[in-house]
Amino acid sequence: MTHPKLTYLAQGVAALLLLTAATMKFVGDPGSVDLFERLGMEPVGRYGIAITELVAALLLLSPFAALGSVIAVAVMCGAIIAHVTQLGLVVNDDGGRLVAMLVVVLVCSVYVLISRRKQIPFVGDTL
Amino acid sequence: MKSTFAIDLEKMSRTANVGIVVLFLLAGAAGHFASFYFHFLTVAFFLLVLLNVYWRHVQTSHALLANFGWLAQLRYIVESIGPELRQYLFASDTEERPFSRVKRAEVYRKAKGLDATAAFGSLLSYDRTELKLRHSFYPVDEDELEPFDVAIGASRQLDTTYHIRHPIMISAMSYGALGQNAVRALARGAKQAGATMNTGEGGHPKYHLMEGCDLIFQMGTAKFGVRTADGRLDEDKLAALAALDAIKMVEIKLSQGAKPGKGGLLPKEKITPEIAELRGVTMGQDVVSPAHHVECVDAESTVAFIGCVQRVSGLPTGIKFCLGRPDEFRALVQEMKRQGTVPDFITVDGGEGGTGAAPVSFLDEIGLPLFEALPLVHRILLDEGIRDRLAIFASGKLISAGKQLQAMSLGADVAYSARGFLLALGCIQALQCNQNTCPVGITTHQPELQRGLDIATKAQRVANYIEALHHDHVELLAAMGSSSARLLSEENVYAPSQGPVSWPVREPS
Repeated sequence: MTHPKLTYLAQGVAALLLLTAATMKFVGDPGSVDLFERLGMEPVGRYGIAITELVAALLLLSPFAALGSVIAVAVMCGAIIAHVTQLGLVVNDDGGRLVAMLVVVLVCSVYVLISRRKQIPFVGDTL
Repeated sequence: MKSTFAIDLEKMSRTANVGIVVLFLLAGAAGHFASFYFHFLTVAFFLLVLLNVYWRHVQTSHALLANFGWLAQLRYIVESIGPELRQYLFASDTEERPFSRVKRAEVYRKAKGLDATAAFGSLLSYDRTELKLRHSFYPVDEDELEPFDVAIGASRQLDTTYHIRHPIMISAMSYGALGQNAVRALARGAKQAGATMNTGEGGHPKYHLMEGCDLIFQMGTAKFGVRTADGRLDEDKLAALAALDAIKMVEIKLSQGAKPGKGGLLPKEKITPEIAELRGVTMGQDVVSPAHHVECVDAESTVAFIGCVQRVSGLPTGIKFCLGRPDEFRALVQEMKRQGTVPDFITVDGGEGGTGAAPVSFLDEIGLPLFEALPLVHRILLDEGIRDRLAIFASGKLISAGKQLQAMSLGADVAYSARGFLLALGCIQALQCNQNTCPVGITTHQPELQRGLDIATKAQRVANYIEALHHDHVELLAAMGSSSARLLSEENVYAPSQGPVSWPVREPS
């Protein structure tokens, strides 16, 4: 159903985009700050999410990629909730590029999650 | 009677399954109207609900999960950490198998050279369950004891007659089963203590030879290291190996206690270029060890094969087996007498298995236990009048001097141990020998796991263990009033009527 090479590719793409997103949040990119202000999560939420993204990206590049994909999927779900319910799909006049990137990360990490589901701690045996 | 506190699992799980959906909705609402932070919970519950739907309505291989959902998963999680919980927290010091913590601690203590005394009584259930040694009213002085010396091959007046100087030898474990660090630590420890080590059936004993200890070369049914392409004996290769200075004896393995009557399979994935070279097999195809040597199909051909190996190697040569039927063994001994070919030693392996990986049905269900088999073999050899022409080695959980002396009283001349030495190397009984994941780096080939096994330190522990066992031997023998282990007989053993053996024990009169 899934292909090992594609899985590695998906891990790489997801990790790269997550690292970019985490860096933007860490350095206090005005766009990010603005988004988190609108969510009422500035600055604790911004740093918290950045750390979570960083951890997910590093795990995706390690032998624990299954766990990394779970975290990445969770963060992306949260981001989608934010964009759908409060921020809107087009933010800072980017024509939806941020949301598109988010969907790419989500698809990649879901792909990793499915192909590595057996390796998820505790529940992997039953999947 | 129905308990008042009976838990209705079905109702509880229904509540739990609906509950996570409700919690998901609540968290979502809170995230939307109160604080966005609540969406952390929304996401968690969302994923849990998805997973639960999969368990309840998609997958078909786990009935519990299909019926009860995520609550049942808690059971799997708790069950999965059960072995660790039991080993660390709940198992008593005397109940673990194959070796209880008390027995393991005794080996660790010997290996580390620590104080030998304990107080306030034995921790084992002392009464009426285990074999015991009988002591004498008249102990002998320890300096009156004869030094331990068993000559193998003396009855054939071989130039290569080998003298065993320690009552305990390191039993057969191949390079392959063990990693190279473990093999070298064992071999170096044996060298330090002057003890003898069996190579196991892993082919050319490259790592065993590195440390220069005395070796018994074991030839398994696949004859690794000395085989032709079709699995027969390559006489030139055997002669070349036997000519090596370190190789003192040859042991033909007819069967082993872990899987008597069954050959092993070496999967092609595990055949590295090094293994292929040492074992003399080709890469890229599975190697099946046959259940018996191709040369040995009945008593006549088996004895002829023993004679052939004795002739080609020129070394003391013996056989190893786990006893099944005494009548077959008697027929084999009679054939030995008829052909005038007697092996120089016989190794009797207990049926409960050891380091070798084997199907559980074989570990648990087949082969005589050592303390049943040993007196039978001894008795048959005495009956047939060839007991004085060969030595008996015994193996099977003989990790303490007391157990070894019991075996010697019942007919053995020398004891073998494999797992005792693994414990001396630092084995924690993780029971993963067959998975290449040994956490202490003994039965693994992963460099990062072998890293922790320091050869010099562990070799010293092995040597300490051998010397501490020898020390215990001397003390126990003296207490039994016997100047040599050769003089022991079954009158030196007490076998309780509800004990582990069925044979009648003569009460000393």
